[in-house]
Amino acid sequence: MKADKYHDITDQELLEKFYRDHNNEWLGILLQRYTLLLLGVSMKYLKNEEEAKDSVQQIFLKVIQELHKYKVEYFKSWLYMVAKNHCLMKLRDRHGKITAEISDRLAAKPEEETDFQKLVQNDHRLDLMESALKDLNPEQQQCVTLFYLEKKSYQEISDSTGFSLLQVKSYIQNGKRNLKILIEQKQQEELNRK
Amino acid sequence: MSDKYKDILSNLSNEVDQETLLLYLQGKLSEDKKHEVEKILLQNEFEDEAVEGLQEFKDKEQLQYMTEMLNRDLKKKTEKKKKRKEKLQIKDQSLLYLSIFILLLLIVISYMIIHKMLNSN
Repeated sequence: MKADKYHDITDQELLEKFYRDHNNEWLGILLQRYTLLLLGVSMKYLKNEEEAKDSVQQIFLKVIQELHKYKVEYFKSWLYMVAKNHCLMKLRDRHGKITAEISDRLAAKPEEETDFQKLVQNDHRLDLMESALKDLNPEQQQCVTLFYLEKKSYQEISDSTGFSLLQVKSYIQNGKRNLKILIEQKQQEELNRK
Repeated sequence: MSDKYKDILSNLSNEVDQETLLLYLQGKLSEDKKHEVEKILLQNEFEDEAVEGLQEFKDKEQLQYMTEMLNRDLKKKTEKKKKRKEKLQIKDQSLLYLSIFILLLLIVISYMIIHKMLNSN
């Protein structure tokens, strides 16, 4: 793949350049950064290689049209939503089912610091994390430990535990979510004791 | 002691570039690099869903080619308007020069005819 000669320019700067002169070439440069991701998201929903490729082209066209109409603040989050909505609409057309559409314009601000991080800013909370980890179910505990503490890849974890790659990923994701809940509970318990 | 747990909590938004993602999908990254990519994927829903979809492509080696084709098509779409505009501008200008030339030619011919008529009188 060719190196992006506009590598140093951020998405936001490219968008600003486009809003200044309405030259679609800026959008071309910007969208190229996301072609592979759009192809993947389309394939995830549509499960068909040809349809996924068509979908990417349709998303490109939609994005170019929409950006001429209104200003977008957080391009990546917005693009993700446009792509998801487009695929859901295609699925709806295919199956005749009603699918909830997420508002294109209400793309969320990317999370730089989540509540979870705020929750565990200090060492004491990290200690809580240590004990919360022990409260996870064995599969989640094992996968979270191997992934985050021993820095193993999904494949290595799968090889050593016998879980499938999908199971490994799911145990890590759910484990992380459960850790957050457990830490909150432990903090609440501490507050109640005081 | 607690430092080792910081990774689990970290949600700082890193990104994986397309080249690295392709190498990941083609199984060409070291285990350490794979782990790094997977850590980022767990924090980015867009990339994570994309990887799930990309893993469903039968021939991962074709992904780069497909992406290049889509990019080429995108380039055509985004450049077309500008080129046509430029072409029209050039066409417009040559039309202007031609009109000026014809007008000048007509003036010279008219002058010559009038001059000839006056002389013959």
